[in-house]
Amino acid sequence: MTRQKVVITGTGAVCAAGMHPQDILGVILAGSTAIAPIRQWDTAAWPTHLAGEIPDLNPRALVADRKLHKLIRRTDLVGLYAASQAIDHSGFTAWRDALAPEEVAPCNDRTGAIVGSGAGNFQNQYDFFPLMTAAHGDLHAFGRDLSDNVNPMWLLRTLPNNVLGHIGIQYNLKGTNACITNHSVGGTLAVIEAMEALRAGEADRIVAVGHETPIEPQMVLYYHRVGLIASEALRPFDAAHDGSLFGEGAGALMLETAASAAQRGAPVIGEVLGGGSVSEGLGLLAIREDGDGLARAILMALDDAGLHPADVGMIVAHGNGTRQSDVSEAAALRTVFGDAMPPVTGFKWAFGHLIAAAGILDTVLALEALKADVVPGIATLRTLDDACAGLQVSAQPRAPRSKLALILCRGFAGTNAALLVRAA
Amino acid sequence: MTNERRRVAITGVGMVTPVGNDVATTWESLLAGRSGGGPITLFDASGFSTRIAAEVKGFRPILFDDRKLLKFTNRSHRFALEAAEQALRDAGIRPTAADATRWGCAVGAGMMTADFDDLALTHAHGAAGGEIDTDALLTDGPANDPLVFCRGQAAEGLALLTRRFGIHGYGTSVHTACASGGQALGTAMKLIRRGRVDRVLAGGFDSMISPIGIGGFCLLSAVSADNETPQRASRPFDATRNGFLLGEGAGFLVLEAWDMARARGARIYAELAGDGNSLSSYRITDSPPNGDGPIQSMRQALADAGAIPAQVDYINAHGTSTGMNDRSESAAIRAVFGDDADRVSVSSTKSTMGHLIAAAGAVEGVVCALTIARGEMPINANYRERDPDCDLNLVVDEPRRQKVRMAMSNSFGFGGSNSCIVMRHPDDVDGLGAGGTPS
Repeated sequence: MTRQKVVITGTGAVCAAGMHPQDILGVILAGSTAIAPIRQWDTAAWPTHLAGEIPDLNPRALVADRKLHKLIRRTDLVGLYAASQAIDHSGFTAWRDALAPEEVAPCNDRTGAIVGSGAGNFQNQYDFFPLMTAAHGDLHAFGRDLSDNVNPMWLLRTLPNNVLGHIGIQYNLKGTNACITNHSVGGTLAVIEAMEALRAGEADRIVAVGHETPIEPQMVLYYHRVGLIASEALRPFDAAHDGSLFGEGAGALMLETAASAAQRGAPVIGEVLGGGSVSEGLGLLAIREDGDGLARAILMALDDAGLHPADVGMIVAHGNGTRQSDVSEAAALRTVFGDAMPPVTGFKWAFGHLIAAAGILDTVLALEALKADVVPGIATLRTLDDACAGLQVSAQPRAPRSKLALILCRGFAGTNAALLVRAA
Repeated sequence: MTNERRRVAITGVGMVTPVGNDVATTWESLLAGRSGGGPITLFDASGFSTRIAAEVKGFRPILFDDRKLLKFTNRSHRFALEAAEQALRDAGIRPTAADATRWGCAVGAGMMTADFDDLALTHAHGAAGGEIDTDALLTDGPANDPLVFCRGQAAEGLALLTRRFGIHGYGTSVHTACASGGQALGTAMKLIRRGRVDRVLAGGFDSMISPIGIGGFCLLSAVSADNETPQRASRPFDATRNGFLLGEGAGFLVLEAWDMARARGARIYAELAGDGNSLSSYRITDSPPNGDGPIQSMRQALADAGAIPAQVDYINAHGTSTGMNDRSESAAIRAVFGDDADRVSVSSTKSTMGHLIAAAGAVEGVVCALTIARGEMPINANYRERDPDCDLNLVVDEPRRQKVRMAMSNSFGFGGSNSCIVMRHPDDVDGLGAGGTPS
């Protein structure tokens, strides 16, 4: 079986730092952060105040179909927006419109979607609070008065796979598909699974999406209580790093077999070369100090791509700003790259941690940075943590060693993923 | 990595279902069509339009006894840990320190976040007027309890399973509503084919029998309201069907690279031979009446297995007992199987155990493996009145006993994801080439 080459023909992104990949990279290169005081609720009495919220998020600017707004949540709005951007960027619909009528259905059957989604939120369940108040703790009354107090579409709004279902309906995509609800690595795994499906010939093109809007009170509070939230800034690998900060948004890539892209004359932005993902198996929150899982994921990705550490031109680290993750990430990079490490950067300091969308947004931005031939600096980095010694990070922009980027992503359940892409 | 595609063997199975807390009991119930439906006992459902469900009964995690880990579990996680332990014991193999990185874990997990009791506490403390007072959250019990946080995370099931069983390879948790379990099995099969791992603990788990879960389905009018006859409420393909019966539980399988399973002399239930996935892209809650969507997933699964419809002897239908699903699925089976649809036996075991949502595809995958291994096809219970739009060769009244060469399991989800997996009798695998075609 020959393995199909997988290319990238479209990208899309939205987060606090902008509505397009180029704009977001511009904010990063300017050294400014879009992380700001939370505006969705009053945090004056709260122990934590900061996040990367999309300013003045306008549902209609993200998803034109207003009827849809009742059926989906904020996280779905950003996911659908980024997915549309990637599909439109690839010129897919215009190409399909020009097909002979009998060619359209087979084309749709060969076009899929794979989404990394942040399943589960707390705020959505508050929709039952008015009913619970009316029922005075009486479950009989709760059941009896249910339909008078709760939106009949409540369960559909709750579905973690809404972006998958609705992007399918919007673009009439009928091919292979999946929705991965695997905390922070969801978006990266969407790219890896799409790559594998295209390699195996399961589809000709797949839009891969990651989306999440985790900035809600109860979620922020939990992350704070378990010690994951930074006190004043997200400073990956810095001596003063003390936690992460949430961001929100989405990233998307249109992936195709090289044959499909060539057939429709689509401009190729880059190539997905390989990926790897493993679990450390220590439970939901624990991570190994030695970076074992991340090192194994990187080696697996290199092996998958048939590449060596020396081929990597830049590394986009997970760099979430928690001490435990940063230090073990540095250990993993030392294990794999030793003293021949390419420039390392990270982007979360500029717009926050997008959880399920983090890895795929980083991938979109890595391609944008390689296009501009720059490794952006980490502007919040002042003094490298001694425990991260040897890590090739800088506050200043540098030049990449090659057109090849390694993107790292880590999530709950000890899951570590690594992805290798090359910019055209 | 070799160019030859690896075959995948099913060597262990485990189930916790509304009709049995282990494989043997569940299987007997499915053959006899003994329904797991009854009045809801987990909470006072007397005010709901639907007051029935298929609950897991008398469940105590018997094989699974880690008290410390149990604190991190919700109801569905306990089902998962138990069914997974059953599957590993059945397979007679489990991860060791030496091969932990060669084991993967792929699960279909449910969509619920906080347990209702925790939500009720938060309501009483911080939302007595109906709107949340965000400052009150700062002193709320559940909102500050890391255990509530962990139990509510979508990746918690995966975290518990990989920790408990020491799995250090590829781990993933998926959710495409009612297609989740099937999608997890397909993902697991492909992990072995790709050579990423040699063995996978794969399955699904769910429990939505709560005021919010059943409430959500009541609001959509998706569940049967036959409150006086809960054991008859689920009657897939029957002309009088009027909604599904909500179930709960877990199903797990141990998948292994074929040659490794053979080499260790493992009992092989079946080959997990093919996987197909499509999107209906029609409506969020339905497939179209002509079966478009499910047709493609079934054809892809057969092609992936190197099989043709004439080789399939049994279909475990998605068969939810809702008007539109059963009609659409029947049309799809007719379209894919043509005249063979008169021959191939079909049953929906949801007629007996209800709809296990994210666990459904995994449990029904176990059912297909058992169908092949035992040469017995469970019945489509409660079927009385023929629906001309559901013209299928249903297994009614008595289980059918014959060699099952290939079995197919359909799972279709809200959101339009269709999953189909195909299994092959182990005796028919020898003599086939790696890709599934005769060598």
